[in-house]
Formats: sequence, structure tokens, C-alpha cells
Amino acid sequence: MGLGALALALTVTASACGTTDTGGSASEDGACEGKIGVMGALSGANSSIVLPSVDGAKLALKQWSEENTDCDIELVEFDTEGDPAKATPVATKMATDDTFLGVIGGAFSGETRATKSIYGDAGLTMISQSATATDLTQEDQSPVFHRVVGYDDVQGAAIAKYLSDVVGAKKVFVIDNSDAYGEPLAAKVSEELGDLVTASDKTQVAQTDFSPTVSKVNSSKPDAIFYGGYIAEAAPLLKQLRDAGIDVPFVGGDGLYGADFGKAAGAAGEGAIITCPCVPIEDGTFAEDFEAETGAAPGAYAAEGFDAMTIFLDAIADGARTREDIEAFVDDYDEQGLTKQLAFDENGDIAVENVVIWAYKVVDGQLVPDQEISLS
Amino acid sequence: MSDLNEPTPDSTTDPSPQGRATGAFGLPRLNIADRYSKAPLWVRMPIVLIGISFAFYLPFLNILPFAYIRTDLTSGGSDWGGVLFLIVIYMIVAIGLNVVIGLAGLLDLGYIGFYAIGAYSVALFGSPSSPVTEMIADKFGLSEGWAVPFVACVPIAIALALASGVLLGAPTLRLRGDYLAIVTMGFGEIIRILSRNVTSVTNGSAGIIGVPSPPEPSENFFSAIETAHWYWLALSVLILLIFLTRRLEDSRVGRAWLAIREDEDAAAVMGVNAFKFKLWAFAIGAALGATAGLLFASKQAYVEPTGFALNLSFLFVAMVVIGGSGNMVGAMLGAFLITYLPERFREFQDWRPFAFGVAMVAVMVLRPQGLIPSRRRAREFADRKNEAEEAAADA
Amino acid sequence: MDFNALIDGLGGHTLDGLTRGSIYALVALGYTMVYGVLRLINFAHSEVFMVGTWTVLGVYTVLGADSESAMPMVIFATLTALVAAALASASVALAVERIAYRPLRKKNAPPLIFLITAIGCSLVLVEIFGHVLKVFFGAPFGRAPVNVPSPIQTHTLLTIGDVRITNVQVFIILGAVLMMVALDLFVNRSRLGRGVRAVAQDPDTAALMGVNQDRVIMLVFILGGAMAGVAGLLFTINFDITKFDIGFIIGIKAFTAAVLGGIGNLRGALVGGLLLGIVEVYASAVFSSNWADVTAFIVLVLVLMFRPTGLLGESLGKARA
Repeated sequence: MGLGALALALTVTASACGTTDTGGSASEDGACEGKIGVMGALSGANSSIVLPSVDGAKLALKQWSEENTDCDIELVEFDTEGDPAKATPVATKMATDDTFLGVIGGAFSGETRATKSIYGDAGLTMISQSATATDLTQEDQSPVFHRVVGYDDVQGAAIAKYLSDVVGAKKVFVIDNSDAYGEPLAAKVSEELGDLVTASDKTQVAQTDFSPTVSKVNSSKPDAIFYGGYIAEAAPLLKQLRDAGIDVPFVGGDGLYGADFGKAAGAAGEGAIITCPCVPIEDGTFAEDFEAETGAAPGAYAAEGFDAMTIFLDAIADGARTREDIEAFVDDYDEQGLTKQLAFDENGDIAVENVVIWAYKVVDGQLVPDQEISLS
Repeated sequence: MSDLNEPTPDSTTDPSPQGRATGAFGLPRLNIADRYSKAPLWVRMPIVLIGISFAFYLPFLNILPFAYIRTDLTSGGSDWGGVLFLIVIYMIVAIGLNVVIGLAGLLDLGYIGFYAIGAYSVALFGSPSSPVTEMIADKFGLSEGWAVPFVACVPIAIALALASGVLLGAPTLRLRGDYLAIVTMGFGEIIRILSRNVTSVTNGSAGIIGVPSPPEPSENFFSAIETAHWYWLALSVLILLIFLTRRLEDSRVGRAWLAIREDEDAAAVMGVNAFKFKLWAFAIGAALGATAGLLFASKQAYVEPTGFALNLSFLFVAMVVIGGSGNMVGAMLGAFLITYLPERFREFQDWRPFAFGVAMVAVMVLRPQGLIPSRRRAREFADRKNEAEEAAADA
Repeated sequence: MDFNALIDGLGGHTLDGLTRGSIYALVALGYTMVYGVLRLINFAHSEVFMVGTWTVLGVYTVLGADSESAMPMVIFATLTALVAAALASASVALAVERIAYRPLRKKNAPPLIFLITAIGCSLVLVEIFGHVLKVFFGAPFGRAPVNVPSPIQTHTLLTIGDVRITNVQVFIILGAVLMMVALDLFVNRSRLGRGVRAVAQDPDTAALMGVNQDRVIMLVFILGGAMAGVAGLLFTINFDITKFDIGFIIGIKAFTAAVLGGIGNLRGALVGGLLLGIVEVYASAVFSSNWADVTAFIVLVLVLMFRPTGLLGESLGKARA
């Protein structure tokens, strides 16, 4: 570390020369300006689950800026490829740059786990649009972390309720994808269902041939199937189940939510039930505005991205100019958002009674809102 | 790969001028290297010291135009210290893999496995919330939150890596090049899948939080946002490892590796126990990989199985080969470029992997010996090329 | 662990394993032929397969074939897709050879360099489908999985005991075996095939005998590519899906199969592919699918410890193929 000291000494002398503005500095008192970061897999294999929420946030900023022309708020995108190793330098950059007032993200639970302490150290408020892992708020709390979605345990309980009450299933076959999202969700569903689970199987990400799972399903003759995982695996799984003549209801979590499901599953996807802690966009304006802006229907978590950004914008409109102000404002926030009543408890979660979980049905390749699953 | 070990005729004969001149850029660079290595100690020492102090100063580099190398100039950039840390981690990986591929000539496609072992060792033993420490604490009635201190995790990680290197190597090192490649690839995958599936030990896909930091000289010295401190730590480890590996290369072991790589049968005739030295290369490579993984996990404070996917193994091999396999400086350059360029050019977002692929093909086609090959390798490539040209002329 | 599940459904699991293994075997042929002649692992071969699946999607889209199509259309679309996928995959394999490998061969570069070049090519091809084409043409290209609506509908052909045999399974297994027999005959009986064997055995002597080495190498890439294209068709018939990175896992598995059977050996690719498929399905039945890969790799290591050059040994050149 002796050389480190030498290097430090060099810095002091060198920084007097021409420099670049890398650190950034906090805005002048009172000026309505600042940056909000959004962090997630913006490129790479998993980006299709993240990009709609970024577009949602952009839309929120655009609409707000049209009304608040005297403000200069910038939404800065940070690509992590969903990889915790790539997320930490990005998070550190935002944490150490004072012009950043808040972060939307992380989009996935893994990168969120890896960066929470960085933002915590810097007191930078995070509002996640889609990180649903239970432990993020229930086991390892952080004062700066908030999320506008219900977490996996809540969703898992809702799915179990849907399976037992709405589907009326007596024998449920539970499948998960062995990954950080599908495994705990399926475990929670199984726990809530208790004796109703007849058998279960574990598959893995990037699998396409599910014939061993299909024969297990065949021999246990369930009257409903739950799958915790993502679209890329659910589509071939469903095709093989249907091909084998297994026509019982197929229920999946929010990992399957999005326009991509119909495109990937095709005919086999018809009638599948997908639950999501995201409300259907009833009044057309958001969906229409979103489509006008991006040319596509709102995908997964688009409305949640919009809500997360709206909270930050409301804070800025309220006069919050420092990270402390923002954090205090977000903690006390209580407004009706696009998706639900947005108010955070001490862990940073939406109160369970405000979490809305909806079941969607695939009809002609489109997700059609079927019914709200009551949590009580 | 089959002839990683194949005899390379004439590689020991006098270097012809063509043998040295490996292209317009190669020639002057080799001259600098020559002149440097012939310079007396009092010239070399200051150069090394200046180089090292510059490396330590890098996180604060802020003088134009040099500051343009920073990755945090645009508002969507990433933290410069954090990127430097990652670069150094991958440099450690590259030196380790260079021992296996470049020096001993063994193709290892599962190097991520050792990296994962290093990362998981410090997480399993050092984190108070890992199933392993909880079990130990439970069994011996230790207080809640007990964990093995970081300093003790380091030897555990290295010992586990050495052991796994020997365990993997002992049954498989008798296999020829390509077969070894796929067995090592399988090993890397097995480590990742076990870390995901054996939930009772590794906490499964959820991963382990609370991985400990090294002992701190002052409070919060190694907090997550002090990336420059982490970079200095990794850099110090890197310098130490470069020094040790250099010594190893010039030792009897290093010469034995070279002999095996050039011609295993001839080496065996000369009394080199090929199996023993290959095993050494494997174990030493494993220990270096684990060291990198350990530092990474400690900075990240979190490990999870998807961080050790198979394509990272391929990326590691690409670092070594693109930089110039057999040459430590080359391997480190490869690690630098492959880690740094995608971070520096973040604004190109989704175009980066495509550009990366094109660059990879272009570099290999135009400069198959790597960017900075070892002198011996460069000569070998030139010989092979001449041979091919002669054969073509004959035909 | 549930060995009863395996034993009870042994027939069905074996059939599933053979179906899975057939596709591995077809892709493995590409690895094995290139290895037999050039002694290099063509890691870009997985993407050759991927291109095949996309070509099938293209043919179905152009012809308007889907699950509702009538019988003549089903046959026509499937045959067109077969030819188109084989051609497209062969062209891509050939392009990789010409653009990336040939300059390296001229420099007589060691195989490790080919490996890295192949990984680079693989990345380029993946990104072309995952990003570049999306920028120009939009969906269905991009990162999201895409449905390939196979016109062949799955139905049960016959049931023996508890074992249900579907038309798709028969189609895949027969298709793969037929392609392989044809290839085997071609390599062993035809004049061009003799050239392939000659170069595989001894390139220098073959050159002296007047075999054009470059042409043989092109032929090998074309044949291996075409087989991967056929595998692409069979894959989409079974799973109805493709994705820009669909080749990665199949490629790794097929490479494993090739090594298991004895890389460089055509019949070895068949044996290795089928065995790997069966091992994976059995392991999935006994444990669960997330243990299949571990089991497969352990079987591979065990096989290599007792037979260091795979089950049938490496010998594209030998008369027994």
C-alpha cells in the first residue's frame, strides 16, 4: 500500500492540470435538474423482459417534462446484461456521481442483491420495477431499496390460491427451472398448496427437450400444472405436454408475462394462465401512449417502469433536490399509481393488501386479463 | 489442439530474420523487448517501478488527453475503479490460464470451475449466512454470526483449488488434447451445476450474501464504493503473482513445461516426467484461478451460480490466445482488451457482442500468433507459415 | 432418486432418449467429419444448426404452412424446409470455412487458433440473428424465442404396452438414421468419399495421388453443414421453437456425443449421440432434468478413462469408417 500513497500524492499534484469532468457535482441549490439512472439487462439474451420497463420510464419522463418545462431531468440507461459482475461498476458510478438522485432497478434479483449495499452506502434511493426475490426485503433489508411489485412469496401464495380455488385442482404438478427466480416461486406455491401437490420436477434454463418431465406428469395424472420459469423454456414444455395429450390447465408466474409468450408458444400456448403482480391497463391512455411512443404494446413491467419513474418525478416536483430529500419523500409516498396504490412499508415493499395479482389467459396468442386473484 | 503437443520442427534453430519479424507491428515491439531485457538492472528497476506506480495511479488519471481511456466519461459509463478492478481480476485469471495453456500446452475449457471454487470457498466459509458456517456454528455451539475470518479463507480457497486441480488432473491428464478439452469443460459445468443443485451446502440458485472483505486498515476502507482500494488490493496481488509466475517460468518446472509442450515424447525420453509436471501446471493454474475468484467474490460480497457460466471459460481462453499464448504480458493484454473495450464503448450497447466477434475473427486471421506472442511462439508460427508456403510452392 | 420411475417407464424413456440422441448425432456428424479431416473442433458448427432452424421458420412463413395445413401442403412444406435448411446450413458452414479457416490453414496455424476463430464466428452468427437482422428487419429476429409452427401434428402411431410411439418420434429417429446411412455410404462407397477418407488418413499422400485437398475440405463442411440443417428441421418439428442462441447447448451436447463415440468416426457420432440422449433421459427420470448434464459428463469421463479415444475410436480414414 506504500505505492498507493505515492499514487495518491501524484494525484494531488496532477489534478491541477487539465482535467475531465468525471465525478460530476451536485446541482445548484434549488435548480430543477438531476439524473435518474435505470439499470438492467438492456442488451443480451434477457433484455426482452427489461426493455419495456425502460420504455415505460422514458414515457413517464417525456410526459412529465412536457408539463414541467423548467426542469432538466435526464434518464440515464445503464446496461448490466443482467450480470451482477457487470452491474457493480455501473452501480458504483451512479453511487459516486452526485448528480444521480435515484435509480430504477435492478431489474433482476441477482444484480439487485449485488448492488444494494453500494447504493446503500451512497444513500441513493432504488425503486425496482421487477426484482421480486423475497429475501431482498424480507431477509436482508436495505433502507434505500423499494419495489413497486409484489414479491415472490405473495405471488406464490396467490398462485396457490388460484390453483386451489379457481381451477379447483386436487392434484397439482409443480415444475421449476432451478434458477433464482423459478425455484423459490415454485417452492412457495408448493408450500401453500401442501397436500394438493401430487409430484414435482426440476428442469433447467435453456432446456428444450422436456420428455422426462412429460412422462412424470403423465404417470402422476395431475389436474393442473404449475411452471416457475421463463418463456423460452415454457413454450417447448407446453408444446410437449399438449402433444402428449395432457390438456389440464397450465399456470405460470410472471416470468411468462409479456407479448413474447404468444409468439414463442404458438398454438400450444392457447388457454395457458399467466399470473403477474401487474394490473391490466384498463384505461387506454397508457397503452396507447406507449404504443405511439415505441411502436409496440406495453410489454412486461412497462407500467411498473412508468410508476417507478413517476415516484421520482413527483419527488422532484415536490422540491426534493438531494438524495436525502428523495429518500424521505419516497418513504412517505402514498399515491394511486398506474398499477396499484403506491406506498412502501419499512422494508421497502408495497403493503400486501395493495399488491394486486392478476391472472391472464392466453387467447389467440394475446394475454387477456382473466381475473384478479384476491389475496385475502 | 491435438497438436498442441505436436513437435514443431526447427523451433530451436537460429532465428531467421523472417522468424523474428512477425509483421509490421511485431518487429519494433520485439526490439523494445530485446533492448529492455538486455538492459542492466539499474535501468530495468526504475522502469518497473514507474510502471507499477503508474498502474496504482490509474484510478485517478484525470489529465487530458490520457483521461479518455476512462470508462466513466459519458453519463451512461461505468465506474472506472470498478472496471480496473475487473480487468485486474481477469488478468490474474489470464496468467493462471497461461500457465496451463501457454506454458504446459494443455487446453483447459473449464477454467471457470477453479474461479468458482475460489469464489465459493470464501463465501461458504466466510459468510455468516452460508449453510456451511451455520452448520459448523451449530455443531460446535458457536455464537450466531460466526464465520471463518477472511485471512483464513484464503488458504482454504487455495487448498481446495489445488486439491480440485489434482483431482481433476490425475485421472484425465493422460488424455490427449481434445479429449482433455471436453473433460475440463465438463468439470467447469459440473462445478456450476453442483453449486446450483446442492442447495443444502451452497444455498442453491439464490446464492450467498455477506461474503467477507479483507481486513481493513481503516473503517470502510473496503466498502463497496471504494473501488480504487479494491483495485489496489487486486493490483498488489497481481504484481506478486506475476513475480512468482516469472520465477516459475524460469525454473526447472517451467523448462519442463516447455519441453512437454514442444514434444512430449522427446521430453519423456530426456527424463521429464510429463504427467507430474502437467499435474503441477494444472494445480498451479487452479490456485491462480481461485485467487481471482476469491477476490471477485469478496468485492462483490455475493456469489451465485449463474456467474460461473460456461461461456466465461471460452472467454478466458480467448484472452490468453488473442493476447499471445505463452507470453504472460500477452495474456494480460488479452484480458485487458476483452474486459476493457466493451466497458469503454458502452454507448454502442447491443452492437458490442457482434463487434467483439468480428474483432476476434479478424485478430486471429490477421495475427494468429496473438498480439504479443512469446518470442519462441512467434518463431514457431513463422516456421509453420514458411512450411505451409514451401509446401504450397512445391505443389 | 426414483429408480422405480425409470424401470417402470423404461421403454418410453429409451424411446425419448433415442429421439433426443438422434438430433445430437446428426449435429455431431459435422464436428466429427471436420475433425477427421482437419483435426480441429469447429465450434461454429452449433450456429450452423441454428441457421437451419431459422431457415425452416422462413420456409413455413413464405409457404404459409402451419398446424392447420392440409396433407399435400404438409409434405411439400416439410420437404422444402428440409432442402432449404440443408442448403442454408451448408452455405453457412462453407462460408465459415472460406472466410475464417482457409486463411489460417494457409498459415498452418495450430488448432487452438482455429478454436478461438470458431468461437468468434459463432458469436458473429449468433449476433446476426439476435441483433443485426433485428435492426434491419425487426421481428421475428432478436433475443426473444420464436414459435416455428410445424405443420406435422403429433399423434400416436401405436402403443406397445405403456409405450406410446408418436409419428414425430419415428420421423426423427428414422430421418436421422437414414441421413447417417446415406452419409456413411457416400464416404465409404463413392469416389468423392474416397477422397475424404484419403485426406483424413494422410493428407500429403492424398495430395500426391491427385486428391484436391481444398475441395475435400469444402465437401466436408458442406456435408456436415447439411446434416446440421436436417437436424434443425427435426428439432423444430419436435419442439416448435427457435431462438438466436438455440445452438449453444445443442452444440456442446453434440460435441460431447462426438467425443463419446470417438471423434472423427462417423458411426461413433451415431453411437455417441444416441447413448448421450439415453443417459440424459434416464438421469432425468431417476433424479430430475437439472442433474442430466452432470450425469452425462460423468459418463463421458468414465468412458474416456477406459477408452481414451471414445467408444469406437477415431478413424474417419479407416475402411470401417
